[in-house]
Formats: sequence, C-alpha cells, structure tokens
Amino acid sequence: MPIRWFRQRDSGPTLGLLAPAGLAATVIYVLFIGLPIVALLVRAGQQDGFVAGLTGPLVLQALRLSLITSAISMIIVVLIGTPFALLLARRNSPALRIIDAFVELPIVLPPVVAGVAMLMAFGRSGLLGPALSSAGISLPFTTGAVVLAQIFVAAPFYVRAARIGFAGVDVSYEDVSQTLGVSPWATFRRLTIPLAWPSLLTGLTLAWARAISEFGATIMFAGNLTGRTQTMPLAIMTALESSLGAALALSVLLLAMSALALALLSAALGRAAKPAP
Amino acid sequence: MNNQSVNSQSVNNRTANQQTGSADPGAVMSAAARCRVDIGRFRLDLSLSVSAGEILVLFGPSGAGKTTALRAMAGLVRPDAGIISIGGRPVFRAGDGAAGRPVWTPPHRRGIGYVTQHNHLFPHLTVAGNIAYGLKDRRRPATRQRVADLIGSLRLDGLESRRVWELSGGQQQRTALARALAPSPSLLLLDEPFASLDMELRQQLAAELRAMVSRLQTPVILVTHSREEALALGDTVQVIDQGRTVASGPPLSVLEQPGQGRVARLVGVENQLQMRVATRWPQDGTMVCRTGEHSLETPLADGLSAGDPVTVGIRASDIILAAGPLPQSSARNTWPGIVTGVQLRPPGYQVALDCNGITLRCHITGTSLEALGVAPGRSFWAIFKASSCFLLNDIADAAGQSPPL
Repeated sequence: MPIRWFRQRDSGPTLGLLAPAGLAATVIYVLFIGLPIVALLVRAGQQDGFVAGLTGPLVLQALRLSLITSAISMIIVVLIGTPFALLLARRNSPALRIIDAFVELPIVLPPVVAGVAMLMAFGRSGLLGPALSSAGISLPFTTGAVVLAQIFVAAPFYVRAARIGFAGVDVSYEDVSQTLGVSPWATFRRLTIPLAWPSLLTGLTLAWARAISEFGATIMFAGNLTGRTQTMPLAIMTALESSLGAALALSVLLLAMSALALALLSAALGRAAKPAP
Repeated sequence: MNNQSVNSQSVNNRTANQQTGSADPGAVMSAAARCRVDIGRFRLDLSLSVSAGEILVLFGPSGAGKTTALRAMAGLVRPDAGIISIGGRPVFRAGDGAAGRPVWTPPHRRGIGYVTQHNHLFPHLTVAGNIAYGLKDRRRPATRQRVADLIGSLRLDGLESRRVWELSGGQQQRTALARALAPSPSLLLLDEPFASLDMELRQQLAAELRAMVSRLQTPVILVTHSREEALALGDTVQVIDQGRTVASGPPLSVLEQPGQGRVARLVGVENQLQMRVATRWPQDGTMVCRTGEHSLETPLADGLSAGDPVTVGIRASDIILAAGPLPQSSARNTWPGIVTGVQLRPPGYQVALDCNGITLRCHITGTSLEALGVAPGRSFWAIFKASSCFLLNDIADAAGQSPPL
C-alpha cells in the first residue's frame, strides 16, 4: 500500500493553489531544522571521547549546576509569577496596564543586554552595588547570579502563559465555589489552579527550557567558573575549544532533556485535554 | 408598598420560627434583606423576606436587578447600605449610626446554595466531584453517603463518574442543584434555573424542586422572567423593575390581576385599552367603558364615576376567536375585527385582530388556528367576558399615555 502524504479533505480552497509551494516549503523546513539535529546525533556517535565525555567531570558538574539552578529559578518564578499573573489577569488599572506592557520585554531583549543590565543593577559598581556590599552580599560571578539571570530571561514566559490561563477562568466559577463554603484560598487551589493548569504547565515548561539554555546573560553577569557558574551551555562553549567529545556529550544531553520536557508537556496536556469535547 | 413588605416580613419570620422550631430548634430557616446596592448609575433598593419551605420569586425584565439581588444575598456584591440576615443572623450590616457596628460575612461563611443561570459546573470534576465539592472531609464514608443520597434523590444514578459536559441540559441542572444542596444550605438562591430547558423538562424539574423544598424546608429565592415559572413555583412573587419592587404578593393576585400598568406590562397583559367610564350598572356588578365607538363591560369598580379615565387590561388568553358573534354565549363583550397578523407564540399562536382601530391580541392553539382558518385579512369576532376585563390604575405611567378622548 502506498504511503499517503496528503489527505484530501478539509484542506480549504487556498491550499490547492499553493500545494506545490507548500510541499517544497515543507521539505526545506524539515531538512533545515532536522539536518543539524541529525548531524549532531550522527557525529556524536562517531566521535572519540563522547562516552567518556558523558561521565567526565566537566559534563557532570555543568549538568548538576544547570539542574539545580534551573530548579531554584523555576521555584522562584512560580512563587512570584503566579500571584503576579493572577493580579494582571483579574485587575485593571492604568499602572497595571503599563506594567503589563513591559512584562514581555525580557523575551525580546538580547540576553547579553540583559546580562549587562543586571551588572549595572547588582554589580559592584551597579545601582544596588554599594547597598549589597555593605550588607556583605556580592552577587556577580556566583551561583546566585546564575539563578538571577535565568529568572530575568525566563520568568516572562511563565507570567505570560499564567496570565492567559487565569484570564480564561470565568470568575463565576470562583463565585459559585465560595457560595459552596470554600474559602478564597481553597477556591484558588481547588478550582482556579486546576482550570488554568494547561497554561501554567506550558508556561513553566517554556520558562524552564529558556532557563536551562540561558547563555548570554549568564556569561555577562555570572561569568564562566567551573562548578559555580558554568552551566551546560557555557560548558559546551568551553569544551568546544579543548574536547569536541565533551561538547557533543553536553549538546546531546541538553537536546535529550529538552525533547523529554516537550514530550512530558504534551503527555500532560494530552491527559488534561482528553476530557475536552 | 414599604409598609406592606414590612408587615409580611414579620409574619413570615413568625411562621419560619414555628416551622423550624419543631424540626431543629437551633436553626432559623429564613432570610431577609432591606438594603441598597449602587452599581455605577444603577441602584437596587432591595427589600425581601423569605421563610422556611417558602419559594420567593423575584420576577422582572432583564436588567431589573434580580441577579444583583441574589448576588447581594450571596455576598458576591456588597450593598452600600442596609442589612441582610440569613438564618436569623446578620451577614451584612452597614455601619451607619444607630444600626450598630458594621457586619460582613464573606460568601463562604454564609451557608447558602447558589445556582447560576449557566450552572457553572466545574469542568475539571466529575458529577460526583462537583456534588462533593462543598463538603468537608470528602473521603469520609458519611460524605460519600451524602453524595450518593443526592445523586439518588435528583435521579442522577449512573452518572457519578461522567464529565459534566457529557450531561444533558436537565442533568446539568440537577447536578448544579445537588451541588448547591450538598452542604445543607440555610438559603437557596436560584437564578433562572430552568431558562435553558425545554417546556416539558422545565415543568418536571419545577415539580421536583417544589417537592424538595417542602421536604427540606430550605427557604428559596428564585429569579425568573417567565410568568409560567413564577406562577408554578412561587409562594410569593415580588415584581422588580429598574431596581425597585413594584408589586409583591401571592402569585395569582400579582401576576393574574396586576393592579398597576407598569406591572401589567412586565407580567405580560397583552391588551391594555385606554377608555372612559360611560355607565355604571351596580345591580349587575358591571360598568360600561367606552373609547370612540368601542364599548365593553368590565367589573364594577368603586370610586369611579362616568367620564373617569380607566385603563382596561385583558389577557390575550382570555379572548376567544369565533367566526360569528355566538348569541348563546354568556360573554358580554363581542367585537368584530379583521386579522392583521399571526405569530407563533409557544405553546400556541398570537393573533392580532384589528377591531375598527383598536388591535386586540388573542392567543389560540394551533388546532383552533387550523379549524377556524385564521389568516391575515379574514374577519372574526373577539369574545371575552366582563370578568376577564380588569382595571389597571396607571398612576406611574399616566403622563406617558393619556386616553384618546
């Protein structure tokens, strides 16, 4: 039986016109995105030192640091971002509208600029530098700086998704919940969170993916110190100069982690969405 | 109006105490409110009272403030002045002067059940999950028993683990009612609970609700804009318009013989004729009213003399259409006319009959429509009894519509 690439129905009137172009575009797109990923995997399989790299100290330290810092970042993003997103979704004031307009700025801001900006704020000679150093705190080139950089670039992904999710929950549900004797806090926990869950999960996954791949802001603000601030993307760059095997090992690991996150997300969303009509 | 409602309130509270006194001496199953809610330029002056086992119907057009009234009772809207009490306990009191210190009980501590117009069943929970939502200790066997009992009494058996959107409209409505009843509320608030259902289901659910209320003795405030629903369910009907109570009392007297023109239009008296009293027949208990060359007989009214303007109301369902003047009929009023329009008005049809300048609206069934051959352009006689005509004292609207004489 021949493989059927296209199904004829529901394609709409414009597709007939553009079908050849659509086919060509699909081939180009899939090749362009797929080829480098295939090349990475193929090359990793052939490379000497790939397996050794996987268990080498550079890789393990970077992996450990990336997992720990991104986990801490996500905890902070959720703790701060959730009430903030709820407020943005439910209240409307001129001040909030202005804040809302700037929430997504870090998404479009070049990460290197974010790193410089953070140095200017929290660095030794930054705005808060004197205050921080008089309190005995020095942020730059510490693991804390890695976490701050990740939060800065990743938080908007979560806040944006959470705000959309909360805005989609009809407040009448919350009203009814309260009339049933359920307190506002319990209503939030038992009703609002579950109803906004797909958005929250998507936002969190995107934010985590952004945090784990963070490079520019981290290297500017936190530096590249093995075991302290050298996360996986930084370690890849460092390894590329000395050991291609280790760089490939880190790259494949990062690819696998991202793919796993995507798979877990769609599995979770699929389960959440299954009962939908 | 105000005096009336104050009186009925104290009476209701007394009966409430008597009724619940035997069942549960601790709880007073009643609710009352006299408060003001300002929302922008809209003002609701709410004064109501409902006692155990009683259904109070708030009736009125959309935008009248009915839903706001329910939300104020529920604590979802905060009144600007006045007092609201549920179960004999104040849940809201404005802190003005002599009234004492302000009181505010949030919705989740008011012990109420609230069924919204669109049910708002929680989509992430099953039927059983929805019903159990307001119960404490949801894993306890007693709680499960409570849910099972409600599922049984609202005939939701076999649907426990269904998702709520898999249910029919009637099943959704029953689930919402079961969910509201589960925590044993001391006041049940129902906002157009049957609006989205078809006629048959509506009547069935209305009967079930009646039975349930008299069994549980829960006071109910029900909002509707359907006359039929108000008649079928209400122990008391309160007509609300533009934030004010314009009439209140037993459903038959408020909805069938409405005293005021504005109320009449709200409750749907289709024919309202501006006339003048011509002759009084005290021995017959009737009088003749005229406008132009039209005249009709109405029940005798005190305090009116010949020449006084009156508004005569006739329900469309009280007018009979006939091919001839029916000489043997006891009906005193027969007007010839020509059909100008026929409109589907479930459960039957509404026919507009032009009686030499005055259009009468009459309701007939589909069978009669066919049997008589009613169609625009054909001549018929409108026949109605003197006792079907009632006088509307049109004080509020007098400025807007003066008699054409």
